[in-house]
Amino acid sequence: MNLPFQILEHPSDLGIEVYGRSLEDIFCNAAKGLIAVIAGTSHIEPSKKRNVTIDANNRENLLVRWLSEVLFLFDTERFLIADIHMDFLHDNELKATVRGERYQSTKHDLQVDVKAITYHKLTIEEHDDFWLARVFVDI
Amino acid sequence: MTLQKIDEYRFIVPKSFQKGMNVEGLIYANDLLIKAIEKDETLQQVANVATLPGLVGRSLAMPDAHQGYGFAIGGVAAMDLEEGVVSAGGVGFDINCGVRLLASNLMLSDIKPRLDELLNKLFSEIPCGAGKSGKIELTFGQLDEVLINGARWAIKNGYGSYADLDHIEERGTMSNADAKEVSDRAKRRGRDQLGTLGSGNHFVEIQFVKEVYDQDAASTYGLYENQIVIMIHSGSRGLGHQVCTDFLELMQEAMPKYGISVVDRQLACVPILSIEGQRYLKAMEAASNFAFANRQMISHWTREAFNHVLKKGTLDLVYDVAHNIAKEEIHKIRNENRRVLVHRKGATRAFPKHHASIPKDYDKIGQPILIPGSMGTCSFVLVGTEQAMQETFGSTCHGAGRSMSRHAAKKNISADQLINSLKEKGIHVRGASKSGLTEEKPEAYKDVSMVVEVMHNAGIAKKVAKMIPIGVIKG
Repeated sequence: MNLPFQILEHPSDLGIEVYGRSLEDIFCNAAKGLIAVIAGTSHIEPSKKRNVTIDANNRENLLVRWLSEVLFLFDTERFLIADIHMDFLHDNELKATVRGERYQSTKHDLQVDVKAITYHKLTIEEHDDFWLARVFVDI
Repeated sequence: MTLQKIDEYRFIVPKSFQKGMNVEGLIYANDLLIKAIEKDETLQQVANVATLPGLVGRSLAMPDAHQGYGFAIGGVAAMDLEEGVVSAGGVGFDINCGVRLLASNLMLSDIKPRLDELLNKLFSEIPCGAGKSGKIELTFGQLDEVLINGARWAIKNGYGSYADLDHIEERGTMSNADAKEVSDRAKRRGRDQLGTLGSGNHFVEIQFVKEVYDQDAASTYGLYENQIVIMIHSGSRGLGHQVCTDFLELMQEAMPKYGISVVDRQLACVPILSIEGQRYLKAMEAASNFAFANRQMISHWTREAFNHVLKKGTLDLVYDVAHNIAKEEIHKIRNENRRVLVHRKGATRAFPKHHASIPKDYDKIGQPILIPGSMGTCSFVLVGTEQAMQETFGSTCHGAGRSMSRHAAKKNISADQLINSLKEKGIHVRGASKSGLTEEKPEAYKDVSMVVEVMHNAGIAKKVAKMIPIGVIKG
């Protein structure tokens, strides 16, 4: 578990398996995994700030909504996230400060359009000394 | 428990396959394709769909079927209008993803010397690839007009001619669309994406007609051997994706109110006649109109590129079909006409001759069906049949269907190797993303000829013509 996430195979799309020591890690690493799907290993400067507030009726739905917001920021503002500071996180609410920059074609190598975050085999698991989550995206 | 082969091209998924199935599943395939289908979770997903309330007939899967989210890709499910449900996942994220075909009056020999120049022009004129904005950014008021009027909006604004509408499914405008049911988030995602191809398996291809199987149908559609044609594959972009995302969530929240529970969250559904069901269908139709306008604009720029480079020739629209959509239709079930909502997710409408919903000039032949192959392989034009009306709610396959994950497809080949190997076969490629190209290599897909052969031999959709690509613009 050296990497905070790994890409899972799906016959037509792909999933992200996320690891961490806390629920906060899971949410941060899942967002980083999604950005890696979108922009590969491109370096992203944390020069601009956005505040994000999300609520949902449980933590799995909160994860889908959070990642949908990360996707929304990219699709509407071309905003790529480099750093995340979780100001508040509970099972049904989060407030985060994200830092990143706008996509630049000369600097960032976009991989694929992510269409959506799905509920397919969505899971967040708390183990003895680590957390694990799986989420699949439609591409 | 196991699949029952009932003839060479039909396999039944019996109700005993899974608890809760209200109807059987039926998969169209041959012995080879069924093996591919059995490899992933397609059968399970066909069985899951069979548990949904109000499903009429069987839960169907076409020979190109593969695992999707909730519903399999390549799935068809018809629901009774009064007792059945509508599922956002039964249409998919890319609402009205579809294909259109433009027929030129040019021959292969007219194009070949200028092919690279033409491809460069197309590649520069048609915004494509991940994160690519369109040439125009709409105001929210203009976007609402697109959502209501579809391809008609595009034509009114100078993208093509009104004659094009005659050859688009639903004449390019779904009439129950309501822009108010499309969220602000969806509009914000779609606002600068009208007239963009997207990435993944979306493409514009220059092809030539290699073989004609049905002379009458081909000449009615204006197709002949060695003729240059253009195939365009794209959908409703971020706007449609967000409409599906919004309603998946809304349907999940509403399900308990209607006493519905599903075995997979991606199957979330509500009664068709419920407030939520009607809201979804109005939003879905609006997103479909966005997709019709999108393909219309891409066609326009394709025509402009041809005029600019070749200074001759015309490109007439043969047809435009949706392959991710839900539509209210009348179908004969046990000798009785019933109104049903047909979900086609990775499946194409295949109406026969004399059907009221097909263009007048195709009335004596039947609806053209456009089947894109994978990059570097052939594509087909088929024609709908009466058999399709009897068995598949007038539906057939939509393409080759993936057989390899995107990750696996990237292994053992670089984009440059792929581009060179295609060039050796006479296929010139321009791709926005090198990584995206290798994910779409021909070997990542099933054999489209075999998929089409199954549909043809089963009598569901008959072969009209086969096309071979010579130039590909890939998102």
